[in-house]
Amino acid sequence: MAESKRGGETGVRCVITTPEATVLDTRAEFISVPLFDGQRGIGRGHAPFVGRLGVGEVRITGERGGAAGALRRTFIDGGFVEVGHDEVTIITQRSIPAEKLDAAAARTDLERLKSAPSHGDEAITARMRSEEAARALLRAAERKG
Amino acid sequence: MAKARALDRRRKSVKNIRKITRTMELIATARFKKAMDRSVASRDYTLRLAKILANIAAATAGGAGTGSTLGFSHPLLEVRPTKRTAVLILTGNRGLCGGYNSNVVRQAQAILGQWRSEKVELHTAVSGKRGISALKFRGVEIDERYLQFEDKPEFDQVAPIGRAYLEEYSAGRIDRLDVVYTRFDSIARQATVTEMLLPLKAPEAPSGSARATAAKAAAGGLASDDYDFYPSAQSILEELLPASFMARLFKCFLDSAVSEQVARMVAMKAASENAGGLIKDLSRRYNRARQSQITGEIMEILGGVEALKK
Repeated sequence: MAESKRGGETGVRCVITTPEATVLDTRAEFISVPLFDGQRGIGRGHAPFVGRLGVGEVRITGERGGAAGALRRTFIDGGFVEVGHDEVTIITQRSIPAEKLDAAAARTDLERLKSAPSHGDEAITARMRSEEAARALLRAAERKG
Repeated sequence: MAKARALDRRRKSVKNIRKITRTMELIATARFKKAMDRSVASRDYTLRLAKILANIAAATAGGAGTGSTLGFSHPLLEVRPTKRTAVLILTGNRGLCGGYNSNVVRQAQAILGQWRSEKVELHTAVSGKRGISALKFRGVEIDERYLQFEDKPEFDQVAPIGRAYLEEYSAGRIDRLDVVYTRFDSIARQATVTEMLLPLKAPEAPSGSARATAAKAAAGGLASDDYDFYPSAQSILEELLPASFMARLFKCFLDSAVSEQVARMVAMKAASENAGGLIKDLSRRYNRARQSQITGEIMEILGGVEALKK
């Protein structure tokens, strides 16, 4: 992969930005992002694309300056990913580092959503969506333990 | 002694007031710096959104061959005749910040009056205690009040408001949304403005020269046209437009917060300086009064001595 080394830099730059701040800006070997239809892995030299994100975890491996094989997990709630030339930009409305996820709170949230009644097609779709998001949050929260 | 003592008392009270205004100035400065940092940090998000939007515009405009407009429409982009409009007015919860609140209120009244004269139904939302009381006093009907925004508006606080507006707009219950707020241009310049947030302005497809540079970049392997879209440009746009609306609305709140702190800083600085001038003047008058009192007393004593000599 000699041709993919440009300017002496290795790996992929990964940026996660929310409306409030840029929460992460790092270089890593490999990044896995939750697209709307499933996880997708991005390594060096990936073809550029713009994709819609679902709710789930961003997993970053081989971060520069981190321990070998270390994995950084960040929960994100929708948004977009833009893959440029060895640069991955994740634009999301909400991002929570995996260490800060609270499984108990996520579970009560999901229970509350489940028990709330909803009428009409739109309300049901919206509810299914928020339930899906709550489940993804719970999954991510439980994984850390 | 009465006059000198009264002057001294006044001087003391002015000194106390100066202490307060000086402290408020310092607090406002610290808060301004924090608010400013937040505002700068949020800029990145908007820029990146705009970049994707431009990419989509470039990709679709090229495909549709229309050149200047997008190849497809979106409910948030369509301009409807205004029958019912929403106005959101952003003021502060506190006073003592110069003309900050009154400027917004004045501008808001102008636009509300304009809509009323055109017989357009209004939905008015006001954030900030000052704006609410000032508009209530002027007989404006307020449909929605927000008091939770201080110097650090959070996205999670703004999002529900934005979502509500988006829903109303998509359902056709409002045809337009204007935000009256204080835009922050620089530390020396803030302008009270009325900005239309809905319908959204269509993203501009790159014009001739921009397309040429894009083509040049394509030769270097960095073309925006190179992008693939998952699942499709249209679907991304459907998500992107609400997100960019949210980002713009959030920016209005951030700008208001920064401007309020700047306004307070400037007002309190002026107040401290005025207090300084007042203290100087009072000190001079006090010294003079005291001196003349002493002179008077000496004269009295001398008069007494002269009388005893005789």
